[in-house]
Amino acid sequence: MAPSSDTSAQALLPNGLRDLLPPDAFSLTRASGRLMAVFAAHGYERVEPPLIEFEESLFSGAGHSASANSFRVMDPISRRMMGLRQDMTPQVARIAASRLRDAPRPLRLAYGGTVLRVQGTQLRPDRQTTQVGFELVGQNGTEALGEVVLVALDALEQLDIGPVTLDLVCPALVPALCEAAGLDPVTAERVREALGQKDLKAVETLVPAGQAAVFTALARAMGPVERAVEVLESLALPAQAAVHRDALLDMARRVLAFIGSGNVTVDPFEFRGFEYKTGPAFSFFARGARGELGRGGAYVNSFGGVNEPCCGVSLYLETLVEITGRSPECPRILVDPATSLAGRRALQDKGFVTVTSPGAPLDGDEARRLNCARWLSPEGDIRDASPPPVCGQAS
Amino acid sequence: MVSSSAPTADKLILALPKGRILEEAMPLVNRVGIVPEPAFDDPHSRQLRFATNNPGVDVIRVRSFDVATFVAFGAAHLGIAGNDVLMEFGYSELLAPLDLGIGACRLSVAEPAALRAEEDPASWSHIRVATKYPEITRRHFAARGVQAECIKLNGAMELAPALGLCRRIVDLVSSGSTLKANGLVEVETIAPITSRLVANRTAMKVRAREMNAWIEKFQEVCNGSSA
Repeated sequence: MAPSSDTSAQALLPNGLRDLLPPDAFSLTRASGRLMAVFAAHGYERVEPPLIEFEESLFSGAGHSASANSFRVMDPISRRMMGLRQDMTPQVARIAASRLRDAPRPLRLAYGGTVLRVQGTQLRPDRQTTQVGFELVGQNGTEALGEVVLVALDALEQLDIGPVTLDLVCPALVPALCEAAGLDPVTAERVREALGQKDLKAVETLVPAGQAAVFTALARAMGPVERAVEVLESLALPAQAAVHRDALLDMARRVLAFIGSGNVTVDPFEFRGFEYKTGPAFSFFARGARGELGRGGAYVNSFGGVNEPCCGVSLYLETLVEITGRSPECPRILVDPATSLAGRRALQDKGFVTVTSPGAPLDGDEARRLNCARWLSPEGDIRDASPPPVCGQAS
Repeated sequence: MVSSSAPTADKLILALPKGRILEEAMPLVNRVGIVPEPAFDDPHSRQLRFATNNPGVDVIRVRSFDVATFVAFGAAHLGIAGNDVLMEFGYSELLAPLDLGIGACRLSVAEPAALRAEEDPASWSHIRVATKYPEITRRHFAARGVQAECIKLNGAMELAPALGLCRRIVDLVSSGSTLKANGLVEVETIAPITSRLVANRTAMKVRAREMNAWIEKFQEVCNGSSA
């Protein structure tokens, strides 16, 4: 039966929002469960902040960069503005710096939930996504970062998504170089944008040749990690930039000691998506996926004026689920509505999903109509559903 | 969702632009060692995707604007596109690691010669412009406080002022002879244009060695031709 045009029009959702149907909705929950289980196994304990909170807290500290792309509503009770979270990390940072400020460090917290943004990206127009991640509060040195990368890779391995590429970045490196070169903020921002696109030609038009040389040299560090480490080690950099470079190298060596160099790359110019990351950072990629699978890195939690070193990672569940192989579904079996709970459990223990069809005959045709491969006869035998009708033949 | 591209997932796709730039681009493409099958040069062929002498590489031929889109969304891994196209879209997923130095021209504002004398650009608050590049045009005029109302045309921009569609155009200019033939003068250059080798960001990570090797080959060929 075709729906009326009214029904169809009413079903229209706003841009960037969608309904998840079976089996995709379940895939999302299952993937989230698997990731959270790995985080828990490594000692990361779950916190559950609210979906919406006062904007002063949501957009302070690490949340500052999220402000422009967040939905807001006025709280009719307190008459204060509230923001819908666009990223859960600042919420976790708030919890760590307030309610859990006296908990022993390092504090390990995990989170997972829906986030909402005003506008998606070209690659991912979705406005509602699911973020799953964890934070290591109190540490952001090489050892802490190494642990975060390792636990994230361990979690990703549970998802059956094939080889994952780890891209190591240092978003503070280019700004440090621009500052050392004495570039004005506008030019520095343009240089950063151009380098983000790897457009060295554009950089040459923005700064004098003498200053562009360091960026050209740094460009050779882009790509597979072995060569990147060699190039980075050999560069003579101004003091602050050298500090960032050394932190990046330390992270690279730490990670290589754990996982080998096979799928590790370096990108000294990347900065998008790392707005509040002050130290070395990283992202995950995989073939077939649209954009990053997740991002993480070192930062300083400045909530409430206390500067505490932190590092953590966020994984993007929708992107992950898109490239996760579909696991075989449990076979469905049609049973009589009078079947006892014990009877149903016995079937469920054998791996069946039990389905009833109240008011309908219990037979092979009904089983087929309800997408059940089997049905349980009144005698207690498991029988096959009727074969699908052959096209072009009267049934 | 991904399965549709799965059978060809491991092939590297190079997107080439139809038209003007292709003639200049093909010698470079051939010199890096990519020679498409004969149907590529057959003007009567309806084929859009072509095998090459390298079994791991296919080429596609699409409109220059579409090169950027195919590469940005990862449907193609490498492509050749003018920076006019890159500026217009501003795709963050598109990297432009190499200037190929071909297809050189400029993106300019042009208007009828007579108009030049009678108007004072400092007094503008709003102007109407015919262009294939509404984003660049809007940004260019917004930077000096002028609101540009853009009429999107896909070609023959030079006709628009004479027929009263608008008074100004923003278009690519190489020799300037088309402008001259239509009674227009170039009043301002927005940007110099050359063609770039463009790369998909995700592909640069997950196929880092392969992609870097191709970019280096293109680099060598370009250095060779400019020396």
